[in-house]
Amino acid sequence: MKERYSNPYVIGVILGLILLFSFYTMGRGLGSSASFARIATAGVNLVAPEHAKANAYFSTYLKGGKSPLMAWLVFLTLGAALGGLFSAFISNRIKGEVARGPSIGVSVRLWLALGGGILSGFAARLARGCTSGQALTGAAELAFGSWVFMLCIFAGAYATTYFFRKEWL
Amino acid sequence: MGPLYKFGWFDFAYSLQLAGLIGFMFGFVLERAGFGNPRKLTAVFYLKDFAVLKVIFTAIVVCILGLLYFSVFGWIDLGRVYLLPTFIWPQIVGGLVLGIGFVMGGYCPTTSVVATVSGKLDGLIYIIGMMIGSVFFAEVFPMLEGFYTSGDMGAIRLTNVFNINSGIIAFLVCLVAVGAYWFVEKVEQKFGDKDTLPKGSPKVKRIAAGLLILLGLILAVVNPDRTIAKPAVSEIKPEKQVEAIQKPETKSEKPDSSGFKIVDDKGC
Repeated sequence: MKERYSNPYVIGVILGLILLFSFYTMGRGLGSSASFARIATAGVNLVAPEHAKANAYFSTYLKGGKSPLMAWLVFLTLGAALGGLFSAFISNRIKGEVARGPSIGVSVRLWLALGGGILSGFAARLARGCTSGQALTGAAELAFGSWVFMLCIFAGAYATTYFFRKEWL
Repeated sequence: MGPLYKFGWFDFAYSLQLAGLIGFMFGFVLERAGFGNPRKLTAVFYLKDFAVLKVIFTAIVVCILGLLYFSVFGWIDLGRVYLLPTFIWPQIVGGLVLGIGFVMGGYCPTTSVVATVSGKLDGLIYIIGMMIGSVFFAEVFPMLEGFYTSGDMGAIRLTNVFNINSGIIAFLVCLVAVGAYWFVEKVEQKFGDKDTLPKGSPKVKRIAAGLLILLGLILAVVNPDRTIAKPAVSEIKPEKQVEAIQKPETKSEKPDSSGFKIVDDKGC
């Protein structure tokens, strides 16, 4: 099964221009991980509002009594979902599946996806952003910590890639 | 003069619509690149396909050049662009853990969204995992707060760390980018599947690389940091009135010789 995707350099240039557009209009870059923290906060706030307000971290998203979902990044992520859907639709790439290498089962892959998600969600909060909000955005501004963060992502991944080879190869 | 929002060109409600539009383009190009497919994404870690590195690095270089040229032309006030602060220890640990999460889960946060909408169940599970991870972080936050705020270096840039102007940094980044492209393509040729790798004419690549280095070199000569402060005073004037009404959020502004300052809100 061969898939033809766009040339990565061309995509890189376009993504750079989108990021520049975001800086020019809003004075800030892209991001997405915080929107999941916000959605999770909204969930906790719905179930246990007292608990959410008492928590030092959740409460930063609940300031001013506004819904944690009325945030710039949440709308950006919604837009990204629609944009991705549109792109997948026009090239017939919408297909219900569990993406994985040929030598791994569905349930193991799903557990690993869950574990990877938990680690990533935790790490993105710790580092104040993810690959887009911290690494991409910050590196474009030449922020020192963002460059270090980006190098650490690659370091962490390359260091452990051997243990997950059965998942992908 | 940009950033338009900080000069009161539009309100919060409109900014949310703009977020939807920017997000749409963001998600669209990620899917075009094949980043809704975790095997394509993780191929970078198995030295087979460096699309991830090419896309990220190219986007960064283009945006660095764009921001600095915009600043030189007086189109954007970099002092009003939110600069991510450096908390070096949590960023190092966060980066390492996110890297592990990336190769284990197959996605990073934004690409998992693109994967989910193209029908991948593992993408959805990854998103659920991210929410669990975020809630877990918030629950243990009281214990982690000391570490979370450790290594606070303020909103510093590579220019402050190496004490050279951002034009020279941009030029160096261009050089590193071209070198990295050349290197990873060599590696791809060795380990990758030649049928699926993008084909491009060597001539176009050479011209693009030359252009990149030229644009960086011009910036290094121009020294954008020097030109940031001066025109700002006269050019901001017309918008000053708007600011007075809008009461801009400049409370945490820190003077910084290189132009960038924190203006408001949290980054990601």
